Amino acid sequence: MTRTDIESEIIRIFRDGFEIEHPEPDANLRDKYQFDSIDAIELLVAIENFLGSELTQAEKKRAMDIRSLRQVYDYVEALARKRLLFSEG
Amino acid sequence: MNRRVVVTAASAITPIGHDRRDILQSLAQGQSGVKPLRDDELLTRYIHSRVFGAVDYPIAYDFKRLYRKTMGPVAYYACQAAKEVLEMAGLDNDFVVSGRLGVAFGSTHGSPTVQRGIYKTFFGGERSDYTAIGAVDYLKSMVHTTAVNITKMFGITGRVIASSTACTTSSQSIGYGYEAVKFGLQDAMICGGADEYDTTTVAVFDNLLACSTAFNDTPERTPRPFDRNRDGLVVGEGAGAVLLEEYEFARKRGAPILAEVIGFACNNNGGDLILPNLNGISQTIRLGLADAAIAADDVDLVSAHATATKMGDVIEAQAIHAVYGDRPHVTALKSYMGHTMASCGVIETILVIYMMAEGWIAPTLNLDDVDERCAMIRHVRTPLEKEVRVAAIQNFAFGGVNTNLLIRKFE
Repeated sequence: MTRTDIESEIIRIFRDGFEIEHPEPDANLRDKYQFDSIDAIELLVAIENFLGSELTQAEKKRAMDIRSLRQVYDYVEALARKRLLFSEG
Repeated sequence: MNRRVVVTAASAITPIGHDRRDILQSLAQGQSGVKPLRDDELLTRYIHSRVFGAVDYPIAYDFKRLYRKTMGPVAYYACQAAKEVLEMAGLDNDFVVSGRLGVAFGSTHGSPTVQRGIYKTFFGGERSDYTAIGAVDYLKSMVHTTAVNITKMFGITGRVIASSTACTTSSQSIGYGYEAVKFGLQDAMICGGADEYDTTTVAVFDNLLACSTAFNDTPERTPRPFDRNRDGLVVGEGAGAVLLEEYEFARKRGAPILAEVIGFACNNNGGDLILPNLNGISQTIRLGLADAAIAADDVDLVSAHATATKMGDVIEAQAIHAVYGDRPHVTALKSYMGHTMASCGVIETILVIYMMAEGWIAPTLNLDDVDERCAMIRHVRTPLEKEVRVAAIQNFAFGGVNTNLLIRKFE
């Protein structure tokens, strides 16, 4: 799973799931797109489905600091890398 | 501080139509909205009653996702009715968000469709752990989901009253909204109720042997309030909303005034939670008249709760007769659409307001042979041209809750 795969999947989730087209990577999600706490919870479920594994409570809590799309990419990339390490280990 | 309270906008989503013209046409033509019960692949095969008051036409919702994401089917109904009422009323947005507009809105038990989804996930075996319950499922299904989805959609910051007393839910909404405006706590209130398509409610009444089962092949012939051959209620779905405003506020902004709310009463039978109670109901009717400061003879029309159960209709007829004698005309609007539960009070109020404006009263449908125990009151049996100046809308609920709402034609 490359960074490009992650970015295109997240953009798809924002378009299909949240009806947000062409989100800007560094915009504040709440201010610009009214992306609220309910959306954040739903995004985590979508990320779980994308990764094919559940997130731990600690991982979910880390997501609470996310403000921009680029931070979402970083967050998912870190999760994917961690899961890859575990599967290889 | 006692202020006059007027109705300045109304919208109903009913089994006999959505817009005013369609509803009046159904009433005028004696068109029933009772249909065969739709299969829900869960309960319907066990239910003896195969009829339902169904909203079976499309509704053009255009809610943004921002709002949709916390809405179950019941909130769609509620928000649509509220939206139409606000559009009709043309209130300034500054007022809508001012804190002087509140919401009194309820449903029987939130969204049973969403609740069913939660249980299906939870007990379905696939992901039987708590994390399988979506974070927004509660917001979609909770008892006050209708009221707060309305506040969210329009940025309303005033009082919230989320009544949830089954069949008196929306009559309480109007009554408590009326009191909030009358006593100066709010200048306007959006009031109403909604209930979505749900077979659980049918199953509950079916288990209590209170549902109609003898007309499964001819749904339009049931319910039959006050008729000798009535055999129980028919569950329905729908929604309704009215905007109540303080009279001077409405007058100054040039709002069209549809009717005036002049009185409200709510009491409890103080005992059995199911059986109809003659004393309790009679007392509610009297309390309503006292609140409106009018005499029984001032009432021209009684919109009866009349669900078409064996005992309920007899007790209600006795109560009407005890207070009013045989003077006011009595009609039972559930005969057209079944019992729309949390929305019946507001729907019946709106239909009465429509009929008041038109100068005629719709008869009780399917009242072919009046039960002699209900014959002492003045049933409307054919469409009746009649100027109604004052009408009483009475509703009674499981739990022994009774309401009586008095409205006057605005002149």
